[in-house]
Amino acid sequence: MKLKRLWFLALLLLITSPSWLTASGLTYAIVNCRLVSPPLPVIEKAVVIIRDGLIEAVGEAGKVPIPEDAEVIEAQGMIAYPGFIDAHTNLFLETPAAESAQPPTAGRPTAGATPEERSPAQPELLVLSQIKPRQTVINSFLKVGVTTVLVAPERGIFSGQSVLLNLNGEKPESMVVKNPVALHLQFVTARGSYPNSPMGTVAFIRQSFLDAAYYSQHLTTWKKSPRFLPRPVYNPFYEALAPFVNERKPVIITCNNQEDIKRAIRITQEFKLQAILSGANEAWRVAEELRAAKLPLLVALNFRPPATSLYSAQGEAVRRKAEQEVYPANPAALQKMGINFALTSLGLSDAATFQKNLQAAVKAGLPAEAALKALTITPAQILGVDSFLGTIEPGKIANVVLSSGDIFDAKSQVEKVWVDGQLFKIEKAPEAKGPAAISVAGAWKVTVSGPMGEMEMTMELEQEGSAVRGAISSSYGRWEIRDGAISGQELSFTLSVTIMGQSMDVAFSGRVEKDLIEGTLQVPGGAADFKATRIPREL
Amino acid sequence: MKKTIILSLCLFLVAVGPILAGGNLLLKNGTILTVTKGTIPKGDILILDGFIRQIGENITAPAGVKVIDVSGKYIIPGIIDSHTHIALSGTNETGNAITAEVNMRDVLHAEDTSIFTAISGGVTTIHTLHGSANPIGGQNITLKLKWGKKAEEMIFAQAWPTLKFALGENVTQANRTVAGGEERRYPASRMGVVAIIRRELQRAREYIAQWDRYNEWQRLKILNRPLLPPCKDLQLEALADLLRGKLVARCHSYRSDETIEFIQLSHEFGFRVACFEHIPEAYKIAKELAAEKIGISVFMDSWAYKVEAAEGIATMPAYCAQQGVLVSINSDSNERIRRLFNDAAKAIKYGGLSEDEALKLITLNPAIQLGVDKWVGSLEVGKHGDVAVFNEHPLSAYTRCDLTIIEGDIYFDREAYLKERQEAQKVNPKPKLSGGGQ
Amino acid sequence: MRLRQLIFCLLLSIAALSIGSVRAEEVLAIIKVKIVPVVGEDIPQGTILVRGHKIEAVGSDVAIPSEAKIIDGQGLTAYPGMIDASSTLGLYEIGSLQATIDYRETGRLNPQVLTTEALRPDSMHIPITRSNGITAALVVPSGGLIPGRSGLIQLWGSTPPEMVIKSPVAMHVELPAISRGGFRRQAGPREEGSRQLEEVKELLHQARFYEKRKIAASKNKILALPDFDEKLEALLPVIHGELPLIISVHSAADIRAAIKFLQEEKLKGIFYGVSQGWMVAKEIAQANIPVIFGSLHDLPPSWEDGYDALYRNPGVLRQAGVKIAFSSSSASLAKELPYHAAKAAAFGLDKREALKAVTIYPAEILGVADLMGSLEKGKLANIVLAEGDILELRTVIRHVFIQGQEIDLSSAYTEFLEKYRKRNEKKS
Repeated sequence: MKLKRLWFLALLLLITSPSWLTASGLTYAIVNCRLVSPPLPVIEKAVVIIRDGLIEAVGEAGKVPIPEDAEVIEAQGMIAYPGFIDAHTNLFLETPAAESAQPPTAGRPTAGATPEERSPAQPELLVLSQIKPRQTVINSFLKVGVTTVLVAPERGIFSGQSVLLNLNGEKPESMVVKNPVALHLQFVTARGSYPNSPMGTVAFIRQSFLDAAYYSQHLTTWKKSPRFLPRPVYNPFYEALAPFVNERKPVIITCNNQEDIKRAIRITQEFKLQAILSGANEAWRVAEELRAAKLPLLVALNFRPPATSLYSAQGEAVRRKAEQEVYPANPAALQKMGINFALTSLGLSDAATFQKNLQAAVKAGLPAEAALKALTITPAQILGVDSFLGTIEPGKIANVVLSSGDIFDAKSQVEKVWVDGQLFKIEKAPEAKGPAAISVAGAWKVTVSGPMGEMEMTMELEQEGSAVRGAISSSYGRWEIRDGAISGQELSFTLSVTIMGQSMDVAFSGRVEKDLIEGTLQVPGGAADFKATRIPREL
Repeated sequence: MKKTIILSLCLFLVAVGPILAGGNLLLKNGTILTVTKGTIPKGDILILDGFIRQIGENITAPAGVKVIDVSGKYIIPGIIDSHTHIALSGTNETGNAITAEVNMRDVLHAEDTSIFTAISGGVTTIHTLHGSANPIGGQNITLKLKWGKKAEEMIFAQAWPTLKFALGENVTQANRTVAGGEERRYPASRMGVVAIIRRELQRAREYIAQWDRYNEWQRLKILNRPLLPPCKDLQLEALADLLRGKLVARCHSYRSDETIEFIQLSHEFGFRVACFEHIPEAYKIAKELAAEKIGISVFMDSWAYKVEAAEGIATMPAYCAQQGVLVSINSDSNERIRRLFNDAAKAIKYGGLSEDEALKLITLNPAIQLGVDKWVGSLEVGKHGDVAVFNEHPLSAYTRCDLTIIEGDIYFDREAYLKERQEAQKVNPKPKLSGGGQ
Repeated sequence: MRLRQLIFCLLLSIAALSIGSVRAEEVLAIIKVKIVPVVGEDIPQGTILVRGHKIEAVGSDVAIPSEAKIIDGQGLTAYPGMIDASSTLGLYEIGSLQATIDYRETGRLNPQVLTTEALRPDSMHIPITRSNGITAALVVPSGGLIPGRSGLIQLWGSTPPEMVIKSPVAMHVELPAISRGGFRRQAGPREEGSRQLEEVKELLHQARFYEKRKIAASKNKILALPDFDEKLEALLPVIHGELPLIISVHSAADIRAAIKFLQEEKLKGIFYGVSQGWMVAKEIAQANIPVIFGSLHDLPPSWEDGYDALYRNPGVLRQAGVKIAFSSSSASLAKELPYHAAKAAAFGLDKREALKAVTIYPAEILGVADLMGSLEKGKLANIVLAEGDILELRTVIRHVFIQGQEIDLSSAYTEFLEKYRKRNEKKS
């Protein structure tokens, strides 16, 4: 009698033991979908079992038993993909307003300043402390199939250390997949202090690595045998940098143009870093160097020609043409040359553009399978998480995307997304091109409040059916509204903003009442609240 | 040790003669101004694999070599601008007063449209520098203006590595208004400029001594306690290289007095000054400059824009050349760079130089100052096929550069350019990189 | 006896007076010289006769009076003194010293200021410029929308009145320059030139009504006079058609807007700069507006315009029938004037037209063609004797005459060199 009870208990434990380690949640059985998860072979009619946040089983329909407690999701005619991994973005952040926003001063005595004083480089910063996810933004990424993002800090030369998040909600802690992932390095300058030039930045980076290695050597030597040796002065900057030189922890170097790529390769080789190059939207132009350097590559789907490119020097028309015709072919060219890479949204301000650009890259010649690899298994490998992410395989984290058709087809829709085994239903996009319920034509007084403070502007809009055109004017200049569309009462558009020589695209989405528009603007550093009130026309 | 191996390898390559991946061309029937070996009224130049193989009359082209008829036109060596800031993504690192650690080689910008401006004016080689904001600026680089090629392919490796120094008003920021309450950057007077350079060179001396000491200790193993080397400091390494003779100084100066002070410093610390830049007052100390064998790289007649330039004269380049100083004309401007041949002509009017001497100001002399006269600067067999072709005499005000050739490859062709422009006006073309590497 | 003495004294004094006036009326004969009069045919070898300030005769067969001072022009070529159609001579010494710069007033609207009222005759740039054959220059203000009025000076004299030939010559309007693209780093957005022209229109409108009120008040003593407004007063000659406008304008769109503006306001105008003039050459020609070029030693406005845009601009405009003049647009480099002309000739402008554009055309455009611009009887004796073509870089200038006076060709250039020559060449 006792033995039977013991056996029963043991069996219970065996069956349930994995469960008590993780949270509960529903069990799902996705049936009859087409399963595409390279490099695994495609399964035409598949079954995927998700339990407790993990993939429990994968196989051909009929060969995999459906658990009793599973909610069956009929997916006939749909395609299941691993959740996309966006391996480099600056969104989901709320960076504090820049401290010491002093105007650049020549004549400020800077000789003898320590590295921390000299530049806002902060390699010890864990960007997790600045994460501020918003549900609307998360939804927009899920909608295009992205379930996992690498969020990187954005300010400073040594900007800090990134975190890999699963987009399963708004609580940063439960989103963390890996923290930290890598140290981020950027070829930017420190305004008003050293280094304020590109060549100064390169020298500063090199000297910093030299100093960190030396500091570490000093510390090690001293710890081993402190007698007769002055003890090293504690330096948090060097402490933070040393592991990346000594233990070869991963460094992600953002490269905005082809010269940056070459600089990054040189620095990597000089200090034997374990480097990953990111950005690289001009990578095809230095393919030989990349192939020889054999460094992992994260390619941004940002097609804007860099400022140093000749395309940017021939007027706005040529620049735009290059953005539409030349740069989208970057991923395809790399793939043809046998260079492996992941695709990211770095430099883009919203997920919709990411999707649009992804489709453009495929159209420009990137084979669909290569694109898929670049969004799933390759980023997982580069970021060192491929043992539990990147494919739909038993035991891996249940990040699955269910699409109505080929995910690179503009007509397809992502209908369901599982992140960490939780199901997110994606609302169907509102029927575009339907008659607009409301007119937004006219003049508006706009207030934008966000990470950089509050700004007042005016907006002029014209409306034709559901297409919206216009411009926003402020003390910084006049910015054109692109891709403006209104459907029902939902308004969306993109702004091409140029401030002080820097250009960027900012996305808006919001709701229109009779004389009021409210919504969100995606700006660098986070999202900003956008509120517009109609200016009555004087008669 | 590694450095010596690399250095000797470089020397070896230099001795053997680098193999240029250059082009083949035969220019026929032009007036050839060789600059060093007279003028050939109607002659031909044969360039093979990027080198000048033959200069003379009635040369026949080997099979497959492109022939260009330049009847009625004038051929001179490619023009050399030994002081400019083009083809770089930055000019000044003003975050500190001493920035010897920065190296302009790290910020090459091969798609700078100023490169095209320069080749449209016959310039084939440039020495592009850190700016003059600091007493000690950075390490500079010499390039061949191969428009359309990658940055690395433009580097003229045989040129002397140089370190930029600057004296005078730009460094002391004398022409900058300082906001109330803000302290001026040190040095703010010419006294401080000399003092800070002396300080830095002294620090470099001590840095070398520290390393020597460490190496001795290491070798002799005399200390039975843990030994730490000095920390490698990129700034002091550059200055140490200057003292070791691996870098030469190029010093921006205006007044004759500050120039003399810098010459004293060079004696005090034993480093080589290759050239003074701009130095409008050079005529006042032509004697000293000639005796020290220090060259000058100057404007022809740009002056009076600052107080320290108020006593510049257009006759200075010719006068100094006649007094035995090695003079070159530079542009220090992405606009004037295409008119260097006009500037050289003025030395005939203001000072009475001969035509060849005037041409040397923009060809052989800057080549000597950069240490590349073995390969460029005149039309001689064995030198690089760097050539500029003009439709009138290059020293005439009515002349125009029609062809610019570097190592046997055509980089600027006015005829082709005009044709392209005509075509572009007809059809709305796909965005094209006319140059800048695909 | 006494009568004879009286008559003798009278005759003596008359003689003395006539000798005095003969001294003022010196006669100069430049002989055996090649003459390029600019108006009329070149004379391979001839004589120029100068009496006092003016040219009395030019020809191959000119009778030389006995009292004439002879200048041997063997091997030399005589040209009219060149005219710089836009410069800052006399209002600029050293660029970094604000105290030496007087061509830029503060504020946007300054029609009331006149450059010739601030001239520095001792400017070190003037001797250098005139020793290169430039004998007259238009001194222009700069800055703001209406920087002020310009005047024409000769490059000789110790006081402003001794230098001024004609003042004012024009009222200046400055429209924005094109923000540079390709050849320079991108600049910010710029204002539209047409909006600024609207502002000028409004001002002229105000000036008209200001005058109307003045006239009405002078007729009817009961009406109050308008408050004195120096700016509107200064604009009155413009609306009367007595003072032409020189409009600094660059982009093709702005040029079109400026043409329309002049036609609508019925004003006489001259364009300055016109960097994109080659795009609208026909329209400028049809509107009969002359053009003064800025410095050709500048970069083209944008990559698409082509590297030679500013160089070929004059040729294109001249071909279309526009009357053109060159300028140095400088003080320290005013001596470069002939080389701007030559550069244009290198890129398509006819060589003789280039010469005209630094002599007779600027004289015509600035309204002093009766005084200068060519070697013709009755004009001022502004003559340059050069060892060759004065537009050529290598040409040495031997003599310069302004109003018949031979000018000392020494300058800061020669003085500084002489001062230091001894120390460098002393055998120590």
